[in-house]
Amino acid sequence: MTLFLASVGFGLVTASVLAIASIGFTLQFGVTDVLNLAFGAVMIAGAFLAYLLNSHGVNIWICLVVAAAACSAGSVLLNAVVYAPFQRRGTAPITMVIVSLGMTLIIEFGVQAIAGGTSVSYTMSQGPTVSAGGFTLSAVQFVVIGLSLLVMAGTHVLLRYTRLGKAMRATAANRTLARNCGIRAGRVITATWAITGALCGMAGVVFAMDAGSFDATSTDLFLVLILAAVFLGGPGQAYGAMLGAVVIGLATEVSAAFIPASYKYVVAFLVLLLMLGVRPTGLLGKAAT
Amino acid sequence: MKFTRLAAGRRRSALALGTAAIAVAGLAACSSGSSSGGASGGALTIADVAPFSGPDAALGPTYLASCYGATSAINAAGGVDGHTLTCKSVDTRGDPADAVPAVNQMFASTANLALVIGCTSDEAASVVPIINAHKMAMFCMTGQSEFDSVHYQYFYRLVPPDLEESYADVAIAQQLGYTKIALAFGNDIGSQTFIQPAISALKKAGMTLTTDQTLDLTATTFRTEAEAIVQSHPQAIMTEALGSADPTLFSEIKQLNGGKMIPIIGTSAAISPAFFKAATAAVGASAFVANFHADNLVTETSGPAYQAFSKALLSQQGKVPGATGDFTTYLSAPGGVHLYDGINLAALAMVMSKSTSPSVYGPDILKIGDGSPGATVCYSFASCASLLKSGKAIQYEGPGGVTSFDSYHDSTGIFQIDTYSANGAVNVVGNLTAAQLRAVS
Repeated sequence: MTLFLASVGFGLVTASVLAIASIGFTLQFGVTDVLNLAFGAVMIAGAFLAYLLNSHGVNIWICLVVAAAACSAGSVLLNAVVYAPFQRRGTAPITMVIVSLGMTLIIEFGVQAIAGGTSVSYTMSQGPTVSAGGFTLSAVQFVVIGLSLLVMAGTHVLLRYTRLGKAMRATAANRTLARNCGIRAGRVITATWAITGALCGMAGVVFAMDAGSFDATSTDLFLVLILAAVFLGGPGQAYGAMLGAVVIGLATEVSAAFIPASYKYVVAFLVLLLMLGVRPTGLLGKAAT
Repeated sequence: MKFTRLAAGRRRSALALGTAAIAVAGLAACSSGSSSGGASGGALTIADVAPFSGPDAALGPTYLASCYGATSAINAAGGVDGHTLTCKSVDTRGDPADAVPAVNQMFASTANLALVIGCTSDEAASVVPIINAHKMAMFCMTGQSEFDSVHYQYFYRLVPPDLEESYADVAIAQQLGYTKIALAFGNDIGSQTFIQPAISALKKAGMTLTTDQTLDLTATTFRTEAEAIVQSHPQAIMTEALGSADPTLFSEIKQLNGGKMIPIIGTSAAISPAFFKAATAAVGASAFVANFHADNLVTETSGPAYQAFSKALLSQQGKVPGATGDFTTYLSAPGGVHLYDGINLAALAMVMSKSTSPSVYGPDILKIGDGSPGATVCYSFASCASLLKSGKAIQYEGPGGVTSFDSYHDSTGIFQIDTYSANGAVNVVGNLTAAQLRAVS
């Protein structure tokens, strides 16, 4: 019972990290129409940028802000230099996926060529550990959960109450119609890359803080979990990604309390497959008409 | 109009070519490193076939450090019959699927290949038959038991089977007075081979296995696994999960165990600067060194062989690509010591046979390592080569000690117990006798 409760707590932490990344990924996909598999590679690039600063004595929370800003700029650049030119030529979506896969390798191996192949850790305190009723979480893990809630609330405010958010939703729903209504879709897409890139950078640093020790390839499996959370919630659905992250995060950690831990990701994907079998468009995805 | 189309077509082709070139250059930069300096027209290449990326990325640079050290000393002594030696890294990413094409590419692109080193448990099963089929001599760092009984003519090994290392870890636990042990091994081939021998050895030693956790090396947290270990109340944890897995596990155990580490018994793979750096960064140097022991093959820490080895290796400090952390740790790293010996044995065999062809010099590796009656014992390439040139029979005794090859070209030594100092220096704190190992095997 104690292990079960502890694993629920761990699942919430995993879900929090996953939620930040999944929201960024699904917004990016929904608005820009690019299934950007290089998202994980940009995350780890952000994590290593933060490591570079942190190893020179910069506070990790300042590093997080810098990494978010750098990944925001990097993502805008990635779209402008790579994805947008291909899209303008009418490249098929599946080809765009291959392009993004290529970018994953280039960015990831680029990071590895610079940073080396060994594992690194941030210099930071995890803060006091709080144990209550089977839950055992550190202060940093509470901050990560809080940060995730903040991102979720911020995303809600952005999409519901701001002009940009409404324009993003309109562009995601029908780009041509949005243009005809006077929305500058190009600017909206650039703003989306900037916002989701910042979330990507933030997710990278939080991911690395949570992992404790990371290397250039650490996000390879995490990207698969992001995809699972996004498709479970319904691709392009920000609220769905939040829900998907919670389900996947809890499923992986709680299952590890009862079955050999090396199978915990299998359980997460069984949940995904079962859910898609019942509801092919995901938890919050709209059914095809 | 036609010209414009042609120009546009050329621009597109140029762009496509440029993109492809960048992609290929990016990938190539990671899949194969360049060689050390000193290459000339007559240079021979030693290929370090090992992981330079992925979870076991620390292994490749460890072996490369050994290669740089050994070849620098050999080249300084005049090389092998006029040939200088140079080192080349071949990245297997620790995965047979990547290792096989990398090795095939190595053979296709390396005309002057004279020896292969590395071939860890991650990829040995898939690459050893290929290397053997190319009639290329190899000194492998695999403990897989299949090489105890399958004969490959060009395969040589100076490290023990993994099952003996498992017995050594259980013997360390016994010597330290622990009776309740948890296992936490990575899900890679190289780590999984330890588990069954360790479980049977624990049983034979009358110890209790509190929990057996397999760590997915691609995972990023092991909190539930760490909690399961903490709740099973072990006195020590036996582990091998390289890359970021073990450091992450240690930090999570420390957090979940009220800020206290549980004593760790690692394998010889943990004796590397990269592992020390990652582990101390994760839990702090004082907590790590106070709670860590590892088995390691007995290696010399003084005497003429060690002096030659340390001089050669330390001369390469700052020159080895990918080598991080305290360089002196390589003096105790299993790959550092035994591959240095392997390279020296192969180079001396080339001198003795006056051939750089493995099918010709291979048999002389055994003669030089095991020696023959009346052979003069020598401790470095320079002194041994000098004796060979004067017509004397020799027995090479390097920092890894004397060899005793069996019919499968395996030569295994005896074990010692290592710890770390807070600055990363490796300390020998005990030895394990053959009787101790037999008692748990």
